[in-house]
Amino acid sequence: MVFSSLFFTFAFLPVIAILYYLSGKNLKNIVMLAASLFFYAWGEPVYVLLMCGSIMINYCIGTLFGRDDTGRRKKKIFLLISLVFNLGFLIFFKYFGMIISTISSIGSWNFNAGTPVLPVGISFYTFQILSYAIDVYRKKIKPQKSLTLFALYISMFPQLVAGPIVNYADIESQMVDRRHSIKKFCSGVRRFLCGLAKKVLLANNIGSLWVEVKAMPYTEISVFMAWAGIIAFTLQIYFDFSGYSDMAIGLGKMFGFRFRENFRYPYTSLSVSEFWRRWHISLGSWFKEYVYIPLGGSRSGKMKLVRNMVIIWFLTGLWHGASWNFVLWGLYFGALILIEKMFLQKSMARWPKAVRHIYLLLSVIIGWVIFEFTNLTDMASFLRIMFGAGGNVAFDNQVIAKLNIYAYLYIACMIAASPWPKKLALLFKRSYFNIYRAAANVYYCVLMFFSTAYMVGSTYNPFIYFRF
Amino acid sequence: MRINNQKSSSIIQNIACMLPAVFILAMLVFHLALPDKTFSKEEKRYLTQWPAFHIEKVLDGSYETKFEAYFSDQFPFRNFWVNIQEGLN
Repeated sequence: MVFSSLFFTFAFLPVIAILYYLSGKNLKNIVMLAASLFFYAWGEPVYVLLMCGSIMINYCIGTLFGRDDTGRRKKKIFLLISLVFNLGFLIFFKYFGMIISTISSIGSWNFNAGTPVLPVGISFYTFQILSYAIDVYRKKIKPQKSLTLFALYISMFPQLVAGPIVNYADIESQMVDRRHSIKKFCSGVRRFLCGLAKKVLLANNIGSLWVEVKAMPYTEISVFMAWAGIIAFTLQIYFDFSGYSDMAIGLGKMFGFRFRENFRYPYTSLSVSEFWRRWHISLGSWFKEYVYIPLGGSRSGKMKLVRNMVIIWFLTGLWHGASWNFVLWGLYFGALILIEKMFLQKSMARWPKAVRHIYLLLSVIIGWVIFEFTNLTDMASFLRIMFGAGGNVAFDNQVIAKLNIYAYLYIACMIAASPWPKKLALLFKRSYFNIYRAAANVYYCVLMFFSTAYMVGSTYNPFIYFRF
Repeated sequence: MRINNQKSSSIIQNIACMLPAVFILAMLVFHLALPDKTFSKEEKRYLTQWPAFHIEKVLDGSYETKFEAYFSDQFPFRNFWVNIQEGLN
């Protein structure tokens, strides 16, 4: 199920919320678990069994190696089993096709193995399970005795499909005991609406420009058009992803949970390192905690730092998708961060803010080109157009026509991607509290109204099914 | 008196902030209460009907897809929402 679908927002969500608040304290987690399994089964009717199997096996491993009488050697073996098992699943389902096609292109063989369909959310729940297993091994947490709670941790529907990645330690106590109030529920609904509006009002609409540009023949894209298109994609991917995280955090809050922030205005950053502290925070901190620091981080010499950065960014790239362009994308950011760390850090502090911001935005936009084109030749031609090396015209009437239509949307997106609206709202709240409160109520009703119109509108398809 | 005022204002505040949730619920109730339509004059097509339950269709995912199509095709005041969206575009 997609959060921004009518069925989720107007059927699944209200029914689950009613069931949840009608049931007693002891039943709440069971309702949540049942809802999550239903949610997953709705989109993945068969793979839900895979997830359940994975939950059972990891629950057993966790219980076994959390016992006090388990020796150190045995614990290591159990951890290894858990890593091999979970990563094995991930590699088989996500990367099998990529591995096969890479091998066959190197040796110019022709394998024709059927590749498995990727189970939704497997990248996220595998990482959640790994954080649990490693933390139990490190004795940071005690193994979960209740199968219900362990299953709930893995499968909780707000963050199941696209994150944020929740560390077990962050949520352990909340699963046992959490507070509910009308205020918390309302603020959850509001957060959900913010995310929904980001997705259906901003991301989807600005994204349609990129779809048009991408579909144009490369000889006809003017330089400005290429930039307009990729900037649209830059905005689309931010609002899509951060909107999803907002919806997840809001949904969590509606059911009494508090998830950590996943996006903190990444496009306002002044360096690539800062960008990655603000973009998809839960993934960054996962890699930092479970890969980068165990490898020695940046504390054991320059050579090791370079090695660790390459490993981390290779994996971060690969995690985003089973295709080599994602690896290239990861290594590109790794290289930029490494350069910043080793050479630029001191001098950058003296650059004017505007220069640093432009440098960051350019780096990120080029990054999205690498991210978006799975085909390396297409990627190269698009970059060539952007930098005027493709022999394309700089400007044509089409750009003017498009900018006429999309100018307001660009401005709205850029404002919404900055922290200024929130800062202004807080300023206003401090001086005119009552007016602010009334205005906020109206604002969220308006968001609800227009998001609904856009959700219904997107299913409007005259003639398609017309039967004579 | 002041305490009463505070109390009633917090009740009003609670109701006001619940409005989006109430709206969602109201739409669900309308959805259940209003009769399903078969044909849309505006879209010139037949609307998806409540899909028949078959276990094989559930397992291959086509039932779920059909059900979501049914849900959005029969969404209350569908034409009204579509007009709003078209007007904005």
